[in-house]
Amino acid sequence: MSQRKRAVPASQSKTKRRSQVSLDEDDEDANFSQITSSQVQRARENFTSDQIDRKVAEVVQFILIKDQKKIPIRRADIGKHVIKEYKAIYIEIMNRVCRKFDQVFGLKLVEIDPKNHIYILINKLEPIHGEPVSMRPGNPKTGLLFVILSVIFMKGGVIKENLVWNTLKKLRVDPGEKHEEFGDVKKVVTDEFVRQKYLEYVKIPHTEPVEYEFRWGLRAEKEVSKLKLLKFVGELFDQDPQSWTQQFREASATETSSQRS
Amino acid sequence: IRSKGSQEETAGTSNGLGGRNRSERACDMGDEDDTGAGPSAISDEDDDPTRRREIRSKYRDLINQVQQNREDMLNPANNKLTDVLEEANKLFANVRQAREAALDAQLLVLATDLGKEKASQLHAEGSAFDPSAFAEHLLSFMGLNRLEDESGQDGNLEGYLPQSAWQRLAKRSEYCFKTAPSFHYILGSFLAEPPPPRQRVERQRKAPSKEAKRMMPTQLKKMEESNQEATEREVERILGCLQKYFADDPEEPISYYEFVIDPNSFSRTVENIFHMSFLIRDGLVKMNLDKYGLPCIGKIKSTGHHFSCVCLNVLRDDMYYWCTIAPVEEGEVELGGAAVRNQCVISINQKSWRVSIL
Repeated sequence: MSQRKRAVPASQSKTKRRSQVSLDEDDEDANFSQITSSQVQRARENFTSDQIDRKVAEVVQFILIKDQKKIPIRRADIGKHVIKEYKAIYIEIMNRVCRKFDQVFGLKLVEIDPKNHIYILINKLEPIHGEPVSMRPGNPKTGLLFVILSVIFMKGGVIKENLVWNTLKKLRVDPGEKHEEFGDVKKVVTDEFVRQKYLEYVKIPHTEPVEYEFRWGLRAEKEVSKLKLLKFVGELFDQDPQSWTQQFREASATETSSQRS
Repeated sequence: IRSKGSQEETAGTSNGLGGRNRSERACDMGDEDDTGAGPSAISDEDDDPTRRREIRSKYRDLINQVQQNREDMLNPANNKLTDVLEEANKLFANVRQAREAALDAQLLVLATDLGKEKASQLHAEGSAFDPSAFAEHLLSFMGLNRLEDESGQDGNLEGYLPQSAWQRLAKRSEYCFKTAPSFHYILGSFLAEPPPPRQRVERQRKAPSKEAKRMMPTQLKKMEESNQEATEREVERILGCLQKYFADDPEEPISYYEFVIDPNSFSRTVENIFHMSFLIRDGLVKMNLDKYGLPCIGKIKSTGHHFSCVCLNVLRDDMYYWCTIAPVEEGEVELGGAAVRNQCVISINQKSWRVSIL
């Protein structure tokens, strides 16, 4: 299958070129949906089961390594770098990949963006209070993220960026200064967390000067338990989590729906 | 919400050059001219440049007011936003032409955005959530040491936040996440075989012959006692050393390896590790991992400890594996109530000992 490459004029700005590149990859991704059943049949005949096994293992390894930085994985990348000529049977491969993650690693491969086919890995096992989540020392960024996600959630799901910065300042984390643990805080929050899809950082329309608002990202929706978060908030305030009725309702609803999936 | 002024009024006297009606004029977006040149079907009253300028200026004032005082407008305690809208309504009654109408539209867009935001701030039921209080509680959780401030100021930057503050929060926050552990390589060897069964705990004599046995019981008893006593004495001596260090600086943790390793003797090092493990087992000192992942010894502030097992496995002649279960300080018990158990496996052999004393 020949790849269609679009010539990109050098004069185009970087941002424009990027969207051009993603268009290319979207084309490749589109190839996934144009597979006919005869193509599938032929592919199964062409490749031995050993070869397919190997392919499955390669995809698993690819995803594991991509997951290290916690940046969500695009189906197009999996296709381009790993599956390649096995594209016709990608569904079968991906099914087996999911099963491997589930049965061997206790992980779930979750599609957080069904439109753009973007995946993340999350833990199938829920952490149990009283047992350590991991033997390694905690990553301080987890604490930082928790603070931001909590404020957003408790305040109804969207907040202006100033609320985040002001809260962090009270915790001695100033986005204007270099922080001992986090370094360039603004970058961590508005760039790293956003690329990992823990947060969304969106322009508020009609603001002059421009202001942004924060929401939960697609990864956070799948990876973070609102109920557990609310419980911890309750512990900090020494308050019954149910006293925040709206938040409790939302957290419980999300919990039951995610258990079903 | 808005009462549109009487836009449908018939025009004033036209001068006959193509009677442009009101709606046509309203669509004329290109009307930049103050003096209203061109076919002037517009009445003088509607076209008064001074008046129009005044209207536009008032609109701009309102727009500025909304933009500069955004926070104030959002405050649920006042009706400033509604007041602005009422002002705009009054102004609009006098708007006749597109240029002013455009300003009105601009103001409305701003106001509705604010209105939407204001509405979203209302939570019909349930407790409020105050981010400032949240921050205060977090600081307490992270171990903020609030100093006595004699000036009586309520500075929120008072107090000493320990280095482990964010670590502490991270460890607790982790429970809210279902994060997949990151893939990384296990560096080092991996013994596939299970360890051979425990060969010996202490140096024991071989079973004595029958002859010697008669005398043995008393002698052996003495040996055992003196062995145990020797061990106890050593342990106490080490405890004394540590207590001296802690007295000098109770907060400073001591590097475990620095403490146990004897640069001159491997066997002494092993004995030190052995004796240290008693102190840990008995809850007299605590051991944990510092931020580099290296074990260190610290002072126990309260007596609360939880477990009891020390076991030594000699796997090979030159390799000693130690397994100790370290107690947790009372203050560090997780909020859920259960104690956290930490296991620390330390190994040392001649080779690594030689490397470590370099």
